[in-house]
Amino acid sequence: MSKPFIDRTLNILIKGLDAAMLRQQTIAHNIANVNTPGYKKIDVRFEEKLKKAMGSLTGNTLSVTNKKHLAGRTGGEIIPEVVRTRNIQQRQDRNSVNLEMEFSKLAVNSTMYNALVQQVNDRLGILRYVINEGRR
Amino acid sequence: MKLFKTMAISTSALTAEKLRLDVVANNIANINTTRTAQGGPFKRKVVMFREKLDRELNRITLSDNAKFSGLGVQVTGIVADTKTPGKRAHNPGHPDADLEGYVNLPNVDLNTELIDMMTANRAYQANLSVLNTSRQMHEKALEIGRG
Repeated sequence: MSKPFIDRTLNILIKGLDAAMLRQQTIAHNIANVNTPGYKKIDVRFEEKLKKAMGSLTGNTLSVTNKKHLAGRTGGEIIPEVVRTRNIQQRQDRNSVNLEMEFSKLAVNSTMYNALVQQVNDRLGILRYVINEGRR
Repeated sequence: MKLFKTMAISTSALTAEKLRLDVVANNIANINTTRTAQGGPFKRKVVMFREKLDRELNRITLSDNAKFSGLGVQVTGIVADTKTPGKRAHNPGHPDADLEGYVNLPNVDLNTELIDMMTANRAYQANLSVLNTSRQMHEKALEIGRG
């Protein structure tokens, strides 16, 4: 399963990109359903899982709490999770979407995505440099 | 279409809210229609909105290994509002007046319709904004590996 040139850092960056794109889809879905009666908003859980996995990247094996987890060295299986939040404030039509909150999530998420793209490019740039300089 | 699912989600909302706007416009246009093809006065119409999920993924839940099945919103029907009572006006000279001289008017209330219109407009703007942000993110992704 090891891919060439993808080290731990790049792997995590790519997972971050996937999570951010998933989050973008959930935000779009929430805002699309802002007027749907009875609709409850959804969120993506990723950062807490990432933090836990990062803690064990310093050398120890990763904690395995799910049969899908691999106690590997490449960042394991940090899978973003889509959850539907319950028991929060709703409008009269039982819709729980807070438009302002979703917009601020949108701003943060797109900035994060751009930052990750830049980071990935930096890493690839380093690889490219190493490959080119190795020729001489 | 899977590649640009974010855009499809926002587009579904734009279509739905536009449809709501059409229905509102039709309601307002018929605010004085006392006779329809079915007989009685015009009854206002409302749109039914429902969350749209990808049934092809064979699940109604939202995620399975980050395969997200949300596809935005859909209009499941345009139904007549038969619960809101219509107004009656005393006008014996009107061709559609009943035996007591009252004309049954449509149950369209201008304030209600205008609020629906503003709701549709706000949602439309919001989804348009999300569409633009998604597009920017996809354009940014194209920069990976370039240069």
